[in-house]
Amino acid sequence: MPPIINKDKCIGCMNCVTICPMDVYGKQEKDAKTPVIHYPDECWHCNACVVECPAKALSIRVPLPAMMVFVDAPKKKDAQQ
Amino acid sequence: MINRKKTLECDLLIAGGGAGGMQAAIDAADAGLKVIVAEKANTRRSGNGATGNDHFVCYIPEIHGSEENFINLLWHTQEARGGKDIDLVKSFMYNSFDVVKAWESYGIPMRPHGTWEFTGHCRPGVQGVHLKYAGLEQKPLLTKAALQRGVTILNRCPFTEIITNDAGEVCGGICVDLNGEKPELQVVRAKTVLIATAGSMLMNGASTMGWMFNMIGCPASTGVSTAGAYRAGARLVGLDGAVAPIGVSGCKYFNRGGKATWVGVYTDIDGNPLGPFVTKPDWRYGDFTADFWPGMFRMNIQKGNPVFMNCSEGTDEDIEYMKWGLLHEGNGATLQHLADEGFDFRKHMVEFDAKKGGGGGKGVGIDTFGDGTTTVKGLYAAGVSMGNGMVGIGAAATTGRIAARSAAEYCKGRDIEEAEKADIVEEKAEHYSKLLENDASTGSPTWQEAIIAIQQTMWDYLGSGVRSEKLFQVGLRHLGRIKDKINTVQCPTNHEFMRCLEAENTVQVAMLCMESSRSRKETRGAHNRVDYPFTHPDYDGKLMTVQKIDGQLVTGMRAMRK
Ligand SMILES: Cc1cc2nc3c(=O)[nH]c(=O)nc-3n(C[C@H](O)[C@H](O)[C@H](O)COP(=O)(O)OP(=O)(O)OC[C@H]3O[C@@H](n4cnc5c(N)ncnc54)[C@H](O)[C@@H]3O)c2cc1C
Ligand code: SF4
Ligand code: SF4
Repeated sequence: MPPIINKDKCIGCMNCVTICPMDVYGKQEKDAKTPVIHYPDECWHCNACVVECPAKALSIRVPLPAMMVFVDAPKKKDAQQ
Repeated sequence: MINRKKTLECDLLIAGGGAGGMQAAIDAADAGLKVIVAEKANTRRSGNGATGNDHFVCYIPEIHGSEENFINLLWHTQEARGGKDIDLVKSFMYNSFDVVKAWESYGIPMRPHGTWEFTGHCRPGVQGVHLKYAGLEQKPLLTKAALQRGVTILNRCPFTEIITNDAGEVCGGICVDLNGEKPELQVVRAKTVLIATAGSMLMNGASTMGWMFNMIGCPASTGVSTAGAYRAGARLVGLDGAVAPIGVSGCKYFNRGGKATWVGVYTDIDGNPLGPFVTKPDWRYGDFTADFWPGMFRMNIQKGNPVFMNCSEGTDEDIEYMKWGLLHEGNGATLQHLADEGFDFRKHMVEFDAKKGGGGGKGVGIDTFGDGTTTVKGLYAAGVSMGNGMVGIGAAATTGRIAARSAAEYCKGRDIEEAEKADIVEEKAEHYSKLLENDASTGSPTWQEAIIAIQQTMWDYLGSGVRSEKLFQVGLRHLGRIKDKINTVQCPTNHEFMRCLEAENTVQVAMLCMESSRSRKETRGAHNRVDYPFTHPDYDGKLMTVQKIDGQLVTGMRAMRK
């Protein structure tokens, strides 16, 4: 689930709901404090919600299929010689 | 029946408040027009530049010399490779630096290090044309500048249709307001409409098929530009270039991971450089190889050779510069992901590849003239919505300005018309009402099914690397069936309704792309027609076109303007 809300930090300002270009979030129906993550698999990882969250309560987890592929870089050429 | 909101009125209705749309809004307001921006998301953080870009193509005569010199440099960039209509290139060239200065006046840091810095996307010994800037806050700042000038912004209000009068001239637009409990129809009377909603991303599919929105470009761009303009009678161009097997490149699997902002060298797993330009990371250049030669990835993979972006030999200065650039390029989440995974630029290297489906909007869109006009009177296009334009942030903002100024001239002699009385408004109101009645409990399909069905059809019948009349026949037949099914997609909430409208446009663009490719009876580059295996001189210097004339789909071609 890409966006993660730290419920202890969230102040319920709903900036993330307003701003998310993919409409990932929605308002909680009963408890109005923390937003709901309605459509996590429509996250584009644009980071807008993270940037706009005044409480630094949001983080983005990249889903496994989108995980970057990386390996160790080879030793520096001169070090090998 | 869907509720109809009170009709609004303006001189210029802008569909899409990305960089192109917002620049147009600002300039049109400065020219005295009453402007409404209809935006699907929220202009503060929407579009391809939502959280920034870091390279703005721009011509500064003191740096680039003569116009001819600049154009020669431009032809080597990914934005203009293969050539472009010269009227567009020239109007971009004359206006780009003024737009850069305007951006600086809105508070966007265009020379964050004090001077006009052209780094990245270039190679040693050759002057770059990409101005390095700090775009993280560009969208909030553009929005602020527009609001200060009295522009009305309708957020969460996707544009759906251009309204034309009996003479076929623009007189307004239809949007759906998604802010309330239920979608509502919003008609806007407008003397002119500017389309700036960018490309048709969902048609292509991400390389991670199961994770649909993992895309190189903004997935909110879903083809209303191309399909809506077609429905209004505009000529489209370049649709045969869609879903080409060799697109742009970037980080493997994580598709928005940037490219030319990385400061490293493309190497194989043993650290051997694969391109001719650099052997050590250098913050001034990056590695130009993929800009100029995206085929490098395919060629290496065919040899069993994965390609890496190797930054490990960079200096501290190189690595800091790169990280700063990535943050401003809208890649904050990329940096966070790498950090979360324990990635170290000095110890590791990331695999890069050519993206399936390219930019999604690149060269697929509205045929536009150098002044932003199109073949429909009163209709303008800017940014990625243009089928024959350059892609990128500099081009988007500059073409936005050009179109706004042309629209201001055109508005002078025009009256507002009663667009809400056009037949199309009633038709659409009925159609949307029907969609909203589709019953989820009866097992009607979801929008996701529709999009995946379109994507796999596009891959197999247009983007597989092989094209033929027989493949087009089958592909078009299948897309036609998907199109019918989209009428039955369930829309239990505003969100699903919005996605359903996206699917409608996406399938129409897909069909137009296939028809356009079908009409091009030759083989050239990625357009591999096995039934027409020769490159045909008739197509030299030509662009393929599609247009609706007297209700009929008409394919054709036109010469590139030299
Ligand atoms: C991560 C990343 C980095 C990039 N870096 C660079 C760079 O450094 N330099 C560069 O030149 N280019 C870069 N690009 C490309 C550049 O961002 C785009 O070319 C440019 O922003 C396009 O501007 P635009 O106005 O045409 O479209 P967009 O900015 O995409 O705007 C389209 C707008 O239309 C809205 N919209 C869509 N459908 C509808 C609808 N139906 N109704 C109403 N609104 C709608 C969208 O929400 C959006 O706000 C980058 C792109 C990405 C994704
Ligand atoms: S990263 Fe972007 S798309 Fe994802 S939830 Fe945040 S704002 Fe929405
Ligand atoms: S922006 Fe942050 S603080 Fe505000 S509602 Fe969202 S998570 Fe909570």
